[in-house]
Amino acid sequence: MRQRASRPNQSGKVLSVRFVILTLIGFLLTGGAGAGAYFLPALAAARQITDVGPPNLGQVTQPSAPAIAVSSTLQPFTVLLLGSDNDAKFDPNQLLTQSMILVRVDPAAHKVAMFSIARDLYVPIPQNGTAKIDKAYAYGGARLAVATVQQNFQVRIDNYVWIGLEGLVKLIDMVGGIDVVTSNPVLDDYYPDDIHSSDPYGYTRVAVLPGAQHLDGIHAMQYVRSRHSDLRGDFGRSVRQQQVLLALRTKAKSLTAADIPDLASTFNGQLKTDLSLDRIRALLPVAAKVQTQDVKQMTLLNYTVGENIGGEDVLLPSDWAAIHSLVHQDFPS
Amino acid sequence: MVVFGYGVYHYLGSLKSRVTTEKAVAPAKAKFSLPGSVYVAQGGALYRLRAGSFQQIASGGWTQPSPGPTGQLLAVKREAQSSDLYLLDYDGHVVKQLTHNANTDVHLNHWSFYPRLSGDGQTIYYSWDPKDPGNFYRVDLAVYAMPVDGLQRQARAWTDPNQYTGGDVQPAPLKSGGLIYAKFGLTPDGKNISQLWLTTRAHATGTALTKEEDGCAQPALSSDGKRLAMVCTSAGQPSKLMLADFDGKALGPATVVASGLVGAPGWAPDGSGVLYLSGQDTTGHFQLFFQDLTPPAQIPAGPAAPASAKPTGPATPLPAPTPKPARQLTTSNDYDATSAPAWLAG
Repeated sequence: MRQRASRPNQSGKVLSVRFVILTLIGFLLTGGAGAGAYFLPALAAARQITDVGPPNLGQVTQPSAPAIAVSSTLQPFTVLLLGSDNDAKFDPNQLLTQSMILVRVDPAAHKVAMFSIARDLYVPIPQNGTAKIDKAYAYGGARLAVATVQQNFQVRIDNYVWIGLEGLVKLIDMVGGIDVVTSNPVLDDYYPDDIHSSDPYGYTRVAVLPGAQHLDGIHAMQYVRSRHSDLRGDFGRSVRQQQVLLALRTKAKSLTAADIPDLASTFNGQLKTDLSLDRIRALLPVAAKVQTQDVKQMTLLNYTVGENIGGEDVLLPSDWAAIHSLVHQDFPS
Repeated sequence: MVVFGYGVYHYLGSLKSRVTTEKAVAPAKAKFSLPGSVYVAQGGALYRLRAGSFQQIASGGWTQPSPGPTGQLLAVKREAQSSDLYLLDYDGHVVKQLTHNANTDVHLNHWSFYPRLSGDGQTIYYSWDPKDPGNFYRVDLAVYAMPVDGLQRQARAWTDPNQYTGGDVQPAPLKSGGLIYAKFGLTPDGKNISQLWLTTRAHATGTALTKEEDGCAQPALSSDGKRLAMVCTSAGQPSKLMLADFDGKALGPATVVASGLVGAPGWAPDGSGVLYLSGQDTTGHFQLFFQDLTPPAQIPAGPAAPASAKPTGPATPLPAPTPKPARQLTTSNDYDATSAPAWLAG
């Protein structure tokens, strides 16, 4: 009787367990599908973002392998930030880099050093003679740009990030704008009117007024891109670019992993990097720990002389030894 | 289960940071009332705050309201390539367009910013960008003066800006004539500086009121002309709102009133306090704050520094008595932080 009585009970228990397990699996699958759908844009964009497509550089010194595991994110590392005007005026396969900034991040010490490289700096480009350093990216993509900086400045670069004009505008808008104390009135009567414009060769006027303020993407771009009415020219805007990077770092403090899909879909081909998503995710908290006073900012102002070579205005390094000495204070070779 | 999957999707979406989702709203109510009327700018619209409520009085590119002749406001209307000064009545209706800076040739447009009425009410000081016939890339603002009842062609330059620096801005006229303004420049090693200068006549060299390294700008004089509010960055970020006594020739020691992302100070008509804007939390939207300066938090009138060609500036803030805490008037708005509040008695 006991056995007879227990059979239906056991059978019922088995059915109940199966039902619970199947239900749990169902929830896991549907939950996973929900999460998958949420993060799908990030995964799709990640494939696009990390697709560098560099040409074969032969014997050119290759940038160091970026295989730095998440667990080693406490190790200091150097990133080369590259920014390009990539509007309709330019061949997308031969973009110049209007902005080149070396960034050294020491996550353990919570320190950052930024060094802007003047775009007109006239240097040897591996296998491509001597030219303005902004042409390295046009000649050979990120790898040649990295190799050129490594060779001339004798530094080791671990990763790179390239961003187009529109990408920066979108990034700033996506994080809700940036907050800066603009250093001076930035006025320009010949500012390129090449974003959202039917005539990429047109120009417009800009006026970014001084003082603490909230800038959206377009106005932040005007602030960092204008150079005509700055006595320091490209050096002046390099300082402003570093300022905006710091403002973005402040915003990065607030981002969470849930923001990654929006961030990724924002770029749509406007950002390329060899940083892994894991590493980017691991670095977000680092941004929160670095204090402004622990960020060192440098440019090549007073380390170059102007010259005209072949009808082209360029900057010649006035003293490479002095430049190397400056750079190696924060960027190891 | 499908509902669960859908729920997971939306739950993840709810974890997004506020910076990516929070939008500013139009001003409606303040947390407390202030006497008189305060005019502020947000998103190209002018708002009047009276008895704790905001009312939009004008829209479409407006900024930088300031007290004008009796019953009127001065304000800037900004277009894509130019900006102009206007006289408005208190309800935002245009009384008169004072400058005409628009041109069909892009590079022949001009900017007018920071209008301020002189102490005698006869002159409008403002910043304007003259064209440099020697180099069309140069665009620097200089302080100009034009008669309230005159024409723009009667305007005369008062200051000579440092070239390719952005120039001279934010005039604060003195009752006795002359003005304080912010002059931008560069150090020999290429660092941006801003400094307050006092000048009593057009094109005079004047006197530096603050030191280069203090990075001061945005001067605002109290209605009795005896105290100056200013924003100083000490060549870095963030900025500090500072107060100092002013004897007509030099500044006394300065006191820090607020720090962070602060700017755009505007005095109460009776000098009892200062309104300013400050960027809040992660959204960076600028809100209105009020710093009560009535006793016992009133900044003591320290001995005014003697008149000197050397700047006496705010380099060493005074150990001040504990001021009353600043009170936040608004939340969720996003005021134009380059536009100081205009506070009128009526």
